[in-house]
Parts: sequence; C-alpha cells; structure tokens
Amino acid sequence: MTSNVATVAAALQIADSAVREVRAGELLLDVNTVALRVAADRIVSGLDGRLFSLFASDERSTTGRFLVHHLWLLPRLRTFLRVTAPVDPAKSSFPSITTTHTAANWFEREVMDVFGLKPEGHPNPTRVALHDDWPDGVWTLRKDFADNTEVPRVPGDFHPFRPVTGEGVFQVPVGPVHAGVIEPGHFRFGVAGEPVLYLQLRLFYVHKGTEKRFERLPWRHGLLLAESISGDTAVGHSLAYAHAIERLAGVTVPARARGLRVVLLELERIYNHTADIGAIATDVAFTVPASRAQALREGLVRLQDQLFGTRLLRGTIALGGVKRDLSPEACDVLGAHLRVFEREFDDLITLLIDAGTFTDRVDGTGILSNQAARDLGIVGIAARASGVDGDLRRDHPHDAYDGLRFEVPIEDGGDVRARLMVRAREVEQSLVILHQVLRAMPDSPLAAPIPKELPARSSALGWAEAWRGPCTHWIATDDRGEIARVKVTDPSFLNWPGLVHAVPGNIVPDFPVINKSFNLSYSGNDR
Amino acid sequence: MFRIISKSLKTGVLTEVSPPAAQASFGFPVIDFRRCTACEECVRSCPTGAIYAEAPEPGRTTLSLSYASCIQCRECVNGCPEQAIGVSTDVEIAAYNRQQLEQTASFDIDPATGRNAFRQVEVQPGPSLSESAARLRARIRGRLGRSLHVRQVDAGSCNACELEITATMNPFYDLERFGIHLVASPRHADLLLVTGPVTRNMEIALRRTYEAAPEPRVVVAVGACGCSGGIFGEGTYAAVGGVDRVLPVDVYIPGCPPRPQAILNGLLVAMGVREARVRAVQK
Repeated sequence: MTSNVATVAAALQIADSAVREVRAGELLLDVNTVALRVAADRIVSGLDGRLFSLFASDERSTTGRFLVHHLWLLPRLRTFLRVTAPVDPAKSSFPSITTTHTAANWFEREVMDVFGLKPEGHPNPTRVALHDDWPDGVWTLRKDFADNTEVPRVPGDFHPFRPVTGEGVFQVPVGPVHAGVIEPGHFRFGVAGEPVLYLQLRLFYVHKGTEKRFERLPWRHGLLLAESISGDTAVGHSLAYAHAIERLAGVTVPARARGLRVVLLELERIYNHTADIGAIATDVAFTVPASRAQALREGLVRLQDQLFGTRLLRGTIALGGVKRDLSPEACDVLGAHLRVFEREFDDLITLLIDAGTFTDRVDGTGILSNQAARDLGIVGIAARASGVDGDLRRDHPHDAYDGLRFEVPIEDGGDVRARLMVRAREVEQSLVILHQVLRAMPDSPLAAPIPKELPARSSALGWAEAWRGPCTHWIATDDRGEIARVKVTDPSFLNWPGLVHAVPGNIVPDFPVINKSFNLSYSGNDR
Repeated sequence: MFRIISKSLKTGVLTEVSPPAAQASFGFPVIDFRRCTACEECVRSCPTGAIYAEAPEPGRTTLSLSYASCIQCRECVNGCPEQAIGVSTDVEIAAYNRQQLEQTASFDIDPATGRNAFRQVEVQPGPSLSESAARLRARIRGRLGRSLHVRQVDAGSCNACELEITATMNPFYDLERFGIHLVASPRHADLLLVTGPVTRNMEIALRRTYEAAPEPRVVVAVGACGCSGGIFGEGTYAAVGGVDRVLPVDVYIPGCPPRPQAILNGLLVAMGVREARVRAVQK
C-alpha cells in the first residue's frame, strides 16, 4: 500500500514522508493553510479525486488551532485521502476552494456557520446551516459552546430570495410545511407561466444539533443516535458509525457478522428503492403500480420485522458486529420471500415502462447532465443515473462486499426515468448479492468484543454505500478517549444542489416527481 | 391497459380487517419490579433517560420507566442482571399526557446490607385514563363525527415516523376506511399529527400551522421524539424537545418509530372511538 503514498506524493509534488497511511484505505496529509488550494487542484487533476466531505474541528485545547479537513475519495487508488490544515483562531479564516471545486460550496459555508471560520474567496459566503433569526457569533460546534445554551431569536427581515422581474414572471413559495407526508424544507420557484426559471432552497428546518449531540453521548450510545440521522438509512449510518469506531479500536468484525451486515444493508436498499419507485408512480397519478409497490414494500418490512424484530432495521448493527442472527430456517424464509418478490418486482417495472402515459411523464424530465453531476460532486444513485460511475461497495469494499460478484448499474439519461431504472437494476443486483450471501453464510460469532476504552486523541473514518449513496462518519476522540467530534456526511448534503440544477426548464407540476426521483433526506442533510 | 386490469384482479384485496398486533415481535420493555433490585444497570444502559432513578427521601429510592422517551433499543432488556426486564408484543399504546406513559416503583434501602427491597408501584399523579378520555370527548363532541381530517407536520423528525405514517395509507392498513384522511392544508384539518423533537427552526412554522387549523384542532404527538425529545433531548440549542413544549397535546403515541397499527390506534383514540391503553402486556 506504500505505492499509494508514493503516487499521491508524486501527484501533489511533495515528499513521500508528508503523506501517511494512518489505516488501510485512509491516507492523511497535513499541509499549511495556503497550500490547501494547490493540493485540491492537484488531487483533482492528477488523481481524479472526488470531494466527499469538508469540515472543521476545534483543537484549540491541545494545539491552539482549528483544523480544516478536506476528505477526498481517490477512486483509482481505492483509498480516501484527508488533507488537513491548521487555522489560526486570531485570523479565523481559511482559503475557499469553491470557485474551482463546486462541491465544497455548502460545506465551506457550514464551517463558517458553526465554527465561525471564514472561507476566503468564497463566491457566496452567506449562511446555509443557520436560519436568519440566529444571532451572529453563535458557533455551535466550537468546544466552548454548551449544547444547552439558549440562543435568542434575532428579529428582522429574512435575507431575500433572488428576485424575478418581467411580465408574467413571478415567484411560487412552497413549504416548509408541505402538502404530503414529507419532511420540511422551503422551495422558492421563479416561474414564467408553467416553466420554472430557477429553484432556490432553504433547508436546515430539521437541524437537531446531531453532531453536537454525539459529543455529549457515550460513544456506545452514539450508534443509536446514528440510526436517527436519517430514519430511512438506519443501517447505512449506523454501519458507517460502527466502522469508524471499529477502525479506531482496531477491531476485526467476524465473518458471519460481515455477511449479515450485507444482508441488512441490501434489504434496506431494496425496501427504499421499491417505495421510491411506487412514489414516482404516485406523483404521476399512476395508482395501480403505486399501490403494488407499497404492498411489496410492506411485505419486505414485515419480513424484516419477523426476522429481526424491527420493521425499519433499527437496532440490528452492533459495534463489532451485529445484534441479530439469522437461523438456517430464517435464511430459507428470506430466500423464498425474495424469489417471489423478484417476480412481482419484474411485473411492477413492466407495468410502469410499458405504459406510454407513464414514460411520457418521466422521459426527459428533470435532467441532470453528466457534466453538472461531475462538477457538483453528485454521489450515489443520482450520480449513477447521470453516467457517473462510483460505488463504495465495489471501489472501497466494506464488510463482505469484497468477495461478492455484482454489477454497478449506470444509466446515461440523467432524467427521472434514468433514476428510476438505476433503482430497478440495483434491486436486481441486491437480490443477486443476497442470494450469494445466504447460500454461503459463514459460521462465526456475531460480534467481536469492543474494548472498554477508545484510544485517546485518535481519529478514524467509517463509510458505507447506503441505498441513497455513500454515508461517511469521521470520528475523533479527546484525551480521555471520549468523542471529541463526529462529522456525519449524508449523500443528501452533496446531492441537493443537483436537484436545483435538474428542475429549471421543467414545469411546476413535474417538480414533485423530479424531487421524488432524487428522494433526498432533509434530516440527513440538516442533522 | 389489459395488463393493469388483470394485475388488479389477480392481486385482489390486501386490506386486513384488523391490523395484526400479533406480528409485532417487540413493543416496549416491561419491568417486573418484584424481581428488580434497583441496581440501576438499566439506567446506565438507557441512551435517552427513559429509565431513571431518584432518591425522594433518605432510605428510599425510586425507579421510573417512561415509554414517552423509550426508543425501543432493548439495551435495558439485554443488560439487566436480574432478568427483570421483559419485552411486550403489544404496540397499541397511547396516552393523554406524558405522566400516563410513566411507571414508578419505590424501593426501601436496607441500611445493614445496602440492598434495595421492592416497596410498591406508585400511583401516577394527574387524571386517570378514563377522566382524560372523557375530557377529550367533551372537547371534540359532535364536531368530528366519524370523519377526521389530518395534517401531518414534521417538526424535526428523522423521517422514520413519516415512513410509518405513510405505511398506514398502504393497502394493508388502509387508514381511509376509518374515515381518516390526510389533507394538504392545516385549514382543512381537524387534527395535527406532529413528529420530531420540535427544532428551533421549525418551532415558528409549527405554531403557525396550529393557528391556521380550525377548532377543536386536536394535536397528536408521534414517536419518542414527539413525546419527549427522544434521543435528541430537550432544551438544546437546536431542539426544543417534545411537541408539548410548544403546543397543547391531546394524545401521545410513543415508539421509535411507532408501528402503523400504533399510529392508527392513536388516531382512533384522538377521535374518541377508542380509549387509550398505556400498559403493555408482557409476552
């Protein structure tokens, strides 16, 4: 693996000794603040790096500095690279990379909001995480900010949305309380008659202070909080959290648990994809397949309840393994259910794509171009539907994925249909994966013992390719081995800007189906 | 077209006469206080403080379990050294206030050995279930009949509660046959179905939604977060906490997330059709 270190050092034109491999698949490079931009440029041009996260941490108690972290995925080298740079509290600013690397946009503004560190050279340094009624100078993730601080509301005007002018041109405000059973967020459409000119978002309505909460809870309980980052991704996020803790503690997960984790993650993928396909049908008023999809999803969720005692797969992942086993009979029950499901699912997809009334609504609707997806750093199903290849299960395998054969479906259309078809083909692949795992479930304990204490002043990255896309958790400990910082990146945070680019040019009535085809998590984004 | 009709006919009716309570393999923890020694192992294992101990006077200790904050993680069940905590299969739990979801037992501390001996299960202060039910019925009497229009408000949830609320509308549970409709505007709603630890950023929107709804505007809090703030806590800079910190709540539906049949049950309680039940029956 030292070849990775050399490759990275060569691409960045620095000495080999500057790059350290802290753990398998996790490279670390400390630079000074001015070198951040050059490093970012060279990582993208020389290593095809993709920005996966960008965040800060408050290290003032130990080094007297803040740290800014750029987390890159290097697909060719099958490794992550974290670039860190110290930030002087007296200056409280760091160089922005947003003008050249658009994916950094929201991340840098979030660092500004919650750490009070200014991204120098950011083209639009306005708030993203804090709403307008938050006072200035409230930096919630700094260590000297207590989580029970009462933050006063500041009266005054909300910062204006971009105005539209002209005859027949007007704005349509939607939310935060929506018409359906969905999460809150505010959408502002600028429209000329039916067609949308632009879409602006205001999110963070469900900001619950989750990252701060992790710092208050014992790390063993953090696993349960991770399940509540986004309720539909309970396995994905708890798995990413568990991976990070296990890497910190140097624990190897037993083979059976690795297999069962794959089963859980794939079941989560199938039930969510099925529900989404039904919801896309609902949003174009095609009720028969919508109802079929709901029934199929409920069948899966009930099976999960029967097998694991939980409908939405909560409380199944343990630190070091899994909490629930599957007996050989349970494996047979699951396998038999999946075979019936497969036939029914095929029927469902045929019902949909054979209906001209349906394809009329989804073909060419809400196109996210390949170029836009690349520039914005879109990940997961939304990226794969716009022809951007990438899947952590194949490229940076976790759990038992290394030994499994499966394909990563790619579609080129970038429209609602492409996102629907990526889901449909991923369900097929998930079934292939599940049958492989169920056929050869290894025998081993369900979980490896986890030490009583985590190493002090250490950090590790955990990741999992959940159904929506990659979830990453970066966990750092303080000098007592308790949690000092957890940075959670949900794929939604990277993908919301994609929706903004996919909507303009479409008509307002098509917005719900475009939004559903992305199905991004508000809670995962806002945390 | 032919394929659609044939699929509909082949599928038939999926709706269940009564939502199957038996299939729930885990409802809530049930403490057998007679076997409990108040060692407080469960207090330490509970991530949300749903189980807590207090010392009301010297020589006395109490142990309380509140379903309002229970996220059904089963840590207490697995961690109890006396195996005094069992699981219930019962999920159709609802209450008219937070206290009704709580159970407290007191223990005498033996000064010689320091061991705790079970004394009694305390009576919760506040109105009984039937008193609360009568009060709610009086408030909504004649106004709702058998029709209920519901506006769902996510005031900070992780979206798991939304998944289960959506499930109540699927062909198996078919909420609409009970006369319950989810409507798009609070102006059309008799009832607000509120989830989440109310966040600071949703507090104003939630109040406005409530003000937009016509009387008697029943409020139902859904999920551990809606009932108590859940794992996100109460009174943090970002989360206000349970819905009752912001609005008067008529019915609480605990669970993380509550299952569809629990949500259905809670809505029927809010309509005055059923009376709430707060004690889970142990398996």
